[in-house]
Amino acid sequence: MTPYLEVPLRLVVLLGLAPLLPGIINKVKAWVGGRRGPPVLQLYYDLARLWRKGVVMSTLASPGFIAGPAVAWVAVVAAIVLLPLGPAEAPFAFRGDVLLMIYLLALARFGTTWAAMETGSAFEGMGVAREVSYAVIAEAAIIAAVLSLSVQTGSVSLSAMLAPAPGAGAVLLAAGLFTVLLAENCRVPFDDPNTHLELTMIHEVMALDHSGPPLAVILHGAAVKLLLFSLLLVEAVLPLGGVSAPVALAIIAAGVFVVTIGVGLVESLLARFAFRSVPLLLTTAFLMCLFALLMAWKGGAA
Amino acid sequence: MIVGPCIALAALGLAGGIVGGRRWPRVWLALTLMAATGGLGAALVLLAGGADWVWRSALPVGGEVIHLRLDGVSAVFLALMSVVGGAGAVYSREYWSDREQRRSAGRGRRWWSGLMASMGWVLLSANGLHFLLGWEAFTVCAFFLVTLDGRMKAVRRAGWLYLAASHAGTVCLFAFFALLAHSVGSWELGPMREHVELAPLFWLVLAGFGVKAGLFPLHVWLPSAHANAPSHVSAILSGVAIKMGVYGLVRFSGWLPVPAAAGWVVIVAGMVSAVLGIAFALAQDDLKRLLAYCSVENIGVILIGLGAAMLGAAHGGNGLQWGRLALAGALLHVWNHGAFKALLFFSAGSVLHATGTREMSRLGGLWRAMPWTAGAFALGSVAVAALPPLNGFVSEWLIYLGLFDAVTTQGPAAAVAVPAAIVLGVAGALALATFIKAGTIVFMGAARTRRPAHAHECGVLMRGAMCGLAAICLGLGLAPQLLRPILLRATAAWHPAWGGVDPGAPLVPLGTASLAVAMALAVGVVLVFAHVRRNGLNRSVTWDCGYATPGARMQYTSGSFGDLAARWFRWILRPERRLRRPRGPLPDGAVLVDRHPETMLDRVLRPASTGVLHVSTAVRRLQHGRLQSYIVYLVAGIAVLALMVLLGGSQ
Repeated sequence: MTPYLEVPLRLVVLLGLAPLLPGIINKVKAWVGGRRGPPVLQLYYDLARLWRKGVVMSTLASPGFIAGPAVAWVAVVAAIVLLPLGPAEAPFAFRGDVLLMIYLLALARFGTTWAAMETGSAFEGMGVAREVSYAVIAEAAIIAAVLSLSVQTGSVSLSAMLAPAPGAGAVLLAAGLFTVLLAENCRVPFDDPNTHLELTMIHEVMALDHSGPPLAVILHGAAVKLLLFSLLLVEAVLPLGGVSAPVALAIIAAGVFVVTIGVGLVESLLARFAFRSVPLLLTTAFLMCLFALLMAWKGGAA
Repeated sequence: MIVGPCIALAALGLAGGIVGGRRWPRVWLALTLMAATGGLGAALVLLAGGADWVWRSALPVGGEVIHLRLDGVSAVFLALMSVVGGAGAVYSREYWSDREQRRSAGRGRRWWSGLMASMGWVLLSANGLHFLLGWEAFTVCAFFLVTLDGRMKAVRRAGWLYLAASHAGTVCLFAFFALLAHSVGSWELGPMREHVELAPLFWLVLAGFGVKAGLFPLHVWLPSAHANAPSHVSAILSGVAIKMGVYGLVRFSGWLPVPAAAGWVVIVAGMVSAVLGIAFALAQDDLKRLLAYCSVENIGVILIGLGAAMLGAAHGGNGLQWGRLALAGALLHVWNHGAFKALLFFSAGSVLHATGTREMSRLGGLWRAMPWTAGAFALGSVAVAALPPLNGFVSEWLIYLGLFDAVTTQGPAAAVAVPAAIVLGVAGALALATFIKAGTIVFMGAARTRRPAHAHECGVLMRGAMCGLAAICLGLGLAPQLLRPILLRATAAWHPAWGGVDPGAPLVPLGTASLAVAMALAVGVVLVFAHVRRNGLNRSVTWDCGYATPGARMQYTSGSFGDLAARWFRWILRPERRLRRPRGPLPDGAVLVDRHPETMLDRVLRPASTGVLHVSTAVRRLQHGRLQSYIVYLVAGIAVLALMVLLGGSQ
């Protein structure tokens, strides 16, 4: 398939399916809590409604307030295009694409945090300060995880790194990446996506002043980012190199589903951590990724 | 051969600038731009595939004939010097104009030409003695530029500290060049990897050039000098002058044999500089000090690349490939950092010019008055945080690739490449935090004091200089494939054995991806804007969770923003905090002062120098001018000598 055909196809599927994930998480939480919960497609309804609405913007904000979410959304979408889907290589695969993906996610962070700071609100300042500070440790964990995959496969390209059977450190890597997934997507125990007006949160507080289409873009971007991290986790841990394309896609879909349910269960069964202990938990994730790297190293040397 | 005439043109322009710069500012600008064009032309022609340029003259200077030489390595630095020198000249015509700085503007133009000329001389000189002469001239020119506005005490102090620190480094270089000339028998410089006995001299090189490069913990002079100098001078100091230290390290690690431990030491020093430099930057409240510390970080990044290259060269085998990748990244980062840091200092200067303060906690909301400056700073922030699709990402990506390849080979170098890659990631994330803070606290939100209310946008010349550098940041990021021959040429000049090795850096797909991302960004932003406009846009007060009248003092400040991450570095930052809480039922006031001093200077260097001063004061009591005591010294000395002869004389 030519990339001109493949990229739009992938985009339609991935971007179309991404809002399902928060819906599934909410359904799991409701189910565990004994409630009926919002429909699984709730985010689709929200996005459609927001996209039609007008915008109220702070008198202090510059055009960057609207450009920031747009930049973040494009960056996340560009990052997910770089991911391979099992045996189907990414349409743009090259040596070093994994670093481009990581830094595109950082660009997305730049866009959202810059836009949030424009309003001069203390709440948003708080959220941004937390977001960029915790990202420091999360970044270290991601680099360690990527290094371990790189050592295992001897490659620096996502398509080659995510294909083969997992090494001895798969469990550690899975635990580390899952923790990073929770932190990067601002889920419990790092953040609580339900509390909108507390001093205790990160992501939601940055979107406090956004409304209308920019808010829709932020919410959709967050869903795509969740999908990206789930895909990365599933493909890094499961051996997908040997199986045929339809089977691999089915396995990936099932894996993402399991991860999503896992996030929902964590969210139902755990309380949010005190902010003091967030760096500790992230450092644990980093250490797990680092040990996965050491195990990959030992495995390669033997 | 076009290189020679270009360099002659540059020399002519700079000489003319030194002679006539004081009186005729317009002529000076034209001459400086001519020199910049000449230097850039020479460097680019050479990097694009021209042969090395060598020029000898029979004319002796200081007993040595002049020997100039331009090769791939020095051309990289010459190109950077020309670009930033030219842009800074344009900027300074407005920023440090005769109208506002009547006393020092003319002097500043002369020293500027002198600085460019002496740096060019250092880059071209292939003779140790001449190198030292140029180095000293360059240090002195930079000192006079830093202290252009010498009426303020802080400026004078910063200047003296710079001069003293630079000369501490120069002492090492004197020793280095003298020992080198002594063992080789000539002042001529050139590749001499076969002289294995010269290897220990590398430590002198590291110390001497490390001071100039601002390597942690030798960076003590850097923050105050870069913060207190006029902004166009800060830009060339940060963008180019500290790169002369990097040039020295790259040059002599390539020409001389290095000890086995050199690569390890350089890469570890780079890691320390990268993380601690950016940690200090995050904690600052002074905008220009923040940028200065960020330079320490970027020098660290460059040295991580250089250290990896040295390890790769020592490792051999596929080390040639990943070493070459890392060096290509390091040299490209020299360019990139020069471009975006000069851009950031220019915008900081524009803010300082408009508001009269560098303290971020007094600023805020400047974007409305100064949209161009805000845009330039935002673009520079994206570049310095190494985000795609701008230039900072390309060079860090190359260094990463080199480190990842070193890790996958699982050789001995992998043990240091793993932490280096992680450190690069951590420093990048901290840089993002630092520049989100700097950019948004200064330009966004509400004005924190009255100062920003009277701000005005800078004029055409300052804006032009900023736009030029911004275009370079964008161009290098979007078309990295054009850099491939340049980087191949420069790295091959560093290590002759690397000529035939393909480093395997897919710059072409990266360029395609960057371009695609940039276009997608443009389309996405335009689409969202168009849609927002169609749906309707209303303005209202910031929704502070229902608070009716949010005030400027409720905003996050630079201190509160950086506090979370800076707290992880308390052990080295050593913040000074003075807190007086409001007391009683009718509190009359409260004070909170948070200051982040330069730890290495205040906690290490100052006590040490005070100790030395105490000892010397004590020793000085021996010399007091009383003749009687001197006679006693003499008699005692003769007695001791006599005793020594009596006791040891029998042998």
